[in-house]
Amino acid sequence: MDGNKSPTPAELTILIAGAVMLVGSFFDFAGSANAWGKYLFPLATLLPLYGVIMALEVGLTKFANMRLPPQVAGFTWEQVHLVLGILAGFMAVGWLITDISHKGFGFWLEVLGGIAIAAGAVSLQRERNTGAIG
Amino acid sequence: MNRKLAPANIVILTAGVVMLIGSFLSFYTFSGFGGTATFSAWSGASGFGIFGIATVAVLCGVVMAAQVGITTFANGVRVPDQVLGLGWDQIHLALGFQAALTMLAFLARSKGTLSFGLGFWFMLLAGIALMVGAIMRVTGSGAHLA
Repeated sequence: MDGNKSPTPAELTILIAGAVMLVGSFFDFAGSANAWGKYLFPLATLLPLYGVIMALEVGLTKFANMRLPPQVAGFTWEQVHLVLGILAGFMAVGWLITDISHKGFGFWLEVLGGIAIAAGAVSLQRERNTGAIG
Repeated sequence: MNRKLAPANIVILTAGVVMLIGSFLSFYTFSGFGGTATFSAWSGASGFGIFGIATVAVLCGVVMAAQVGITTFANGVRVPDQVLGLGWDQIHLALGFQAALTMLAFLARSKGTLSFGLGFWFMLLAGIALMVGAIMRVTGSGAHLA
């Protein structure tokens, strides 16, 4: 982290998408149940959980100047973002094509957040010149 | 090409195959109204949210097993050392983690009047085995024999 407190576009995308996914998890996901409700927890909760982890890392290092360990289980934080972002994107698409009835407002917030956070994670690789993309 | 499989890769290859086979067997069983209905991981329009979500776990297992199978048995097929800057050990770890977590989430989810079928148990065990195999690769438990 460069100490610049102004978040980059990719970081902003991750922050906003993570927040949207967290907020969305408390709105109706399927029928009148939210992502924490019966029949959906913890399956539908994985998506906002990934988003929150990613947004927290960006928020803590960017705004709280917190120094996190440089690696987690052999992954740099950029790689953690890439992996969680892509998995979140896959899950979002998975939920999009699944057959649950009465998809609620929270469902759409989570799905859109999942796709946005995947895009943010990919964009972050370019911004930080990790060499993972292009 | 190296035809000798390391224990970690045997675990991943076997688990991937079990995951794929399990996905075609009964995931949920519903008994009632004088009959029994079964739903596999590919069953759409059942309203239980299996297809699309359990499918992610299946795809994780298939990709992991395919990478191991191709690098071990396929003549002349070159798999890139890295994908998006991630080494294959890291990819296996990420996909194994996702497969195990998804199946454990299905296990923990309230299923109401449904019962788990044989396919679910195959997929759950395979998901956990994929994670174990990936950890074995990373920690080097048998990873150096291949």
